[in-house]
Amino acid sequence: MTTSLFLVQLINGLQYGLLLFLIASGLTLVFGVMGILNLAHGSMYMVGAYLVWYFFEHTGSFGLSALISAVIALLVGVFMERTLIRQLYRRNHLDQVLLTIGMIFVFNALQSILWGNDPLGVAVPPSLSGAIPMTDVLEYPIYRIFVALLCVLIAGVMYFMINKTRLGMLIRAGESNREMVECLGIDIRKLYTIVFAIGVMLAAVAGVAAAPMSSIVPGMGEHILITCFVVVVIGGMGSIKGAFVAALLVGLVDTFASVMVPQLSSMMIYILMAFILLIKPQGLFSS
Amino acid sequence: MIKPNTLRTAVLAGLTSLALGQTAVANTQAPIKVGIMLPFSGVYGALGDATRNGMKMALQEKASELHGRKIEYIEIDTEARPERAPEISSSLLNNSKADFIVGPVHSGVAMGMMKVLRGKDTVMIVPNAGAGPVTGPLCAPNVFRTSFSSWQPSYPMGKVALDKGYKKVVTMSWNYGMGKESLDAFEESFTAGGGEILKKILVPFPKTEFQAYLSEIASIEPDAVFVFFAGGGAVKFIKDYDALGLSGKIPLLGSGFLTEGTLEAQGKAAEGVMTTLHYADSLDNEINNRFRASYKEQFGKASDIYAVQGYDTGLMIASAINRLGGDIEDQQALIKALEETRVNSPRGEFTFSAAHNPVQNIYLRTVENGENKVIEVAAPALADPARGCKL
Amino acid sequence: MFFNTRTERIFIWVFFPLALLLPLFLAENTFFVSKLTSVMIFALFVMSLDYLVGRCGLITLGHAMFYGLGGYLFWMIAPEYEAVNFWVYTFYICMIAAAVALVIGFLVLRTSGIYMIMITLAFAQMAFYFFSDSIDFGGTDGLFIYVKPETSIFGLSFFDLDNPTHFYYLCLLSLFNTLIFFRLLIRSRFGRVVDAIHENPGRTTALGYNIFLFRLMSYVIASALGAYAGYLFTLQYGFVNPSMLAWTTSGSALVMSILGGMGSIYGAILGTFVYEGLHFSLEHLTEHWMLFMGILIITMVMVFKNGIAGYLEKLLEKRA
Repeated sequence: MTTSLFLVQLINGLQYGLLLFLIASGLTLVFGVMGILNLAHGSMYMVGAYLVWYFFEHTGSFGLSALISAVIALLVGVFMERTLIRQLYRRNHLDQVLLTIGMIFVFNALQSILWGNDPLGVAVPPSLSGAIPMTDVLEYPIYRIFVALLCVLIAGVMYFMINKTRLGMLIRAGESNREMVECLGIDIRKLYTIVFAIGVMLAAVAGVAAAPMSSIVPGMGEHILITCFVVVVIGGMGSIKGAFVAALLVGLVDTFASVMVPQLSSMMIYILMAFILLIKPQGLFSS
Repeated sequence: MIKPNTLRTAVLAGLTSLALGQTAVANTQAPIKVGIMLPFSGVYGALGDATRNGMKMALQEKASELHGRKIEYIEIDTEARPERAPEISSSLLNNSKADFIVGPVHSGVAMGMMKVLRGKDTVMIVPNAGAGPVTGPLCAPNVFRTSFSSWQPSYPMGKVALDKGYKKVVTMSWNYGMGKESLDAFEESFTAGGGEILKKILVPFPKTEFQAYLSEIASIEPDAVFVFFAGGGAVKFIKDYDALGLSGKIPLLGSGFLTEGTLEAQGKAAEGVMTTLHYADSLDNEINNRFRASYKEQFGKASDIYAVQGYDTGLMIASAINRLGGDIEDQQALIKALEETRVNSPRGEFTFSAAHNPVQNIYLRTVENGENKVIEVAAPALADPARGCKL
Repeated sequence: MFFNTRTERIFIWVFFPLALLLPLFLAENTFFVSKLTSVMIFALFVMSLDYLVGRCGLITLGHAMFYGLGGYLFWMIAPEYEAVNFWVYTFYICMIAAAVALVIGFLVLRTSGIYMIMITLAFAQMAFYFFSDSIDFGGTDGLFIYVKPETSIFGLSFFDLDNPTHFYYLCLLSLFNTLIFFRLLIRSRFGRVVDAIHENPGRTTALGYNIFLFRLMSYVIASALGAYAGYLFTLQYGFVNPSMLAWTTSGSALVMSILGGMGSIYGAILGTFVYEGLHFSLEHLTEHWMLFMGILIITMVMVFKNGIAGYLEKLLEKRA
């Protein structure tokens, strides 16, 4: 592999990893704070992509559509938490698994009814189109660099929020001792609603960001869900920092495996996960 | 056993029809049952929808030629899950007693159906799945295909590539049956004419992260790239190919599914992509024009290859019923009628090979202004070699 | 008493006699016999998972690996055009699957909880891609089994596997035996230790038990039975496909097991029949069966605290 190709693949891996982080961050946040295993997380990624497509068709503005989609996702998150998730805090993880699988069915059906099964696409917004030449053949699209930077920005904001703000303090407190937070007179139910809704919104935002560079198809959520879980588990469930490191690791390993050991590339991220869990059974950054 | 009552009715009906100079007792018979095994959810959902729409449209149009026999549909969502295929086939065969079983889209599901339906008292018609064995080593008298074998659309592209002066090519597809068979077919004709395959890239299905592979292709700098992708994967592939700057620099060739039912989502990125397929939207013949107009009118969206294949399946069933005067009870006669069908398809008239696969034109097309424009017939009346079929 | 609860006794006395007689009424319709057969096969698979998840507390999302392995193993070790003995090959397949489970169990059981879910998934995905990428194993198109085994014991043959009704009874017998087997296992000293480990691993270790060994044994037993279910599934239609190993197969089995009532063993039969029954009726009713399926699943989680078995127990045990 030449140096220039190596660098290009490095960028590819990082960019894929950053997008994975964006999708996985909501999953790990919700699990870390609330102990809820939300299998419908991938569905929200799909919903985000479909929503932005739908509003883009109607408004013609990508930015506006992205904003509307994020707000809708937030509301859907609040609704899901208030009506269903809330009932299950005191039940075991497996009931949550069953509930969220039921939700996957519902979301898939709604997608099929509302938007049909044809593959859809959203054009890259004009202000972010264009590309930077890399080699004599290869270019790197500006939109993808923008998305990568956006992911870094969101990671930074999350880090700041959790470590420096009052909400973050409550989240950290709720993680370690739920009763204590309640005793301090803080409405933990409200906190949970907010966290869950943010988690859902993060998945949807990832779907929105991915929409212009991928295809919007039924089942896109389930496929990404598994990869997300790999990321979250490698990083250590509930650890945002872990998810960030693991996402980059998975992105890089997947990218380099694709070209260097193609026979094993389908299994590579699973081999990676099994390997890491055998050495560190709680993931890299378990709390 | 025929109960006395039924017998009397039949005799009466026979006499009446004789008296009226009609040909059959068809009017009093039960509806013809058509079992549909297609995916209506998930990744392949759009293909299932289009196929079903097309088929129903054809049978609707030909309703007057069915000798009074009504069609009853039994539709089951295969979810494109091969392990469910034998059970659903058995349900349609033994429970619903379907006369025709139409399906599927997915090759793995086709194999599961074959296991149960080969040689049984029903006719299986494959409206999409290209799996070679269906009309190859596993071919059977009661199994027909109205679409293509995966060999068919890709084989002619080898010659086209050589004619364009491409000598060194990279091929790429998902690592699954249809993809591998397509790449092999291209390679067969391409290397026979002196071309060289620099690299064959098989991407794990259903992965759509193509960037790493495309970066590698860019560093190899082949004369051209030949790929098989379909549906959502095709959209993503074309977008990535364009976004990474490869389009316009390294010509992209493909099996026609790359740009079928996906052009709208691919947008400008698909311009100039060259593919071979047994159909093109822009084929200018009367049947195709009428088909496209009335499909659009009925279903509110543009038709695609999957709709055409469904439509042809409907035409084929209708034509056989018509030729037999509505009486399809004799399986031998039905199979013979189906074999002799000349389908007046929107893709141009086609017939069936001994292995029950279409003998059809393969067109070379290129994407222009968001439409697949026909350049020429890449291979006229091409028949699948049907390797291993003893029919 | 042999069975734990009144509900279980009632269920077994209703289900098995009914299942025994059913083919007599369905002689006309071979499909329903076949359909019930495949549901029973899957129920057997779910039961083996239910033991792992509900009784041992070992949640796996990789159980389908053994289901698929049961099918592929038969294709690998049996000659293609020669009928082999069913019982002998049952033994072979269960033993090989157990050996595989021993190795994988040794690795995965070092983790727990969600990490174990994911590491089992990792191994299952590797197996999935191994079979679906490989041309030798038919790739994504799968494989056909052309000759079914014969079932003689000392020259006496009871079942003809090509006869759907015979196959039905073979599967019913297998299901019944598996249920009894698990009941015996749970009542045995081994089972009591496993229960104790589930309740309180720390204390059980303190009592001097090697909990890793007990978990490993349970994992091996459940995996071998999972492979047996996959073997039966393969024999039913003579078709093996990598989708048997897909994570969605593990996922649906888990859903059925939770739905039936975790750890109740007989709940696996309830869960599988209810899920498959709903799926079958809904998909024949509407193309949007997923919507109704989803809503029903959500409703059932909300209503049943401990699955269907738990709900029935609440209704039936009050008077006791």
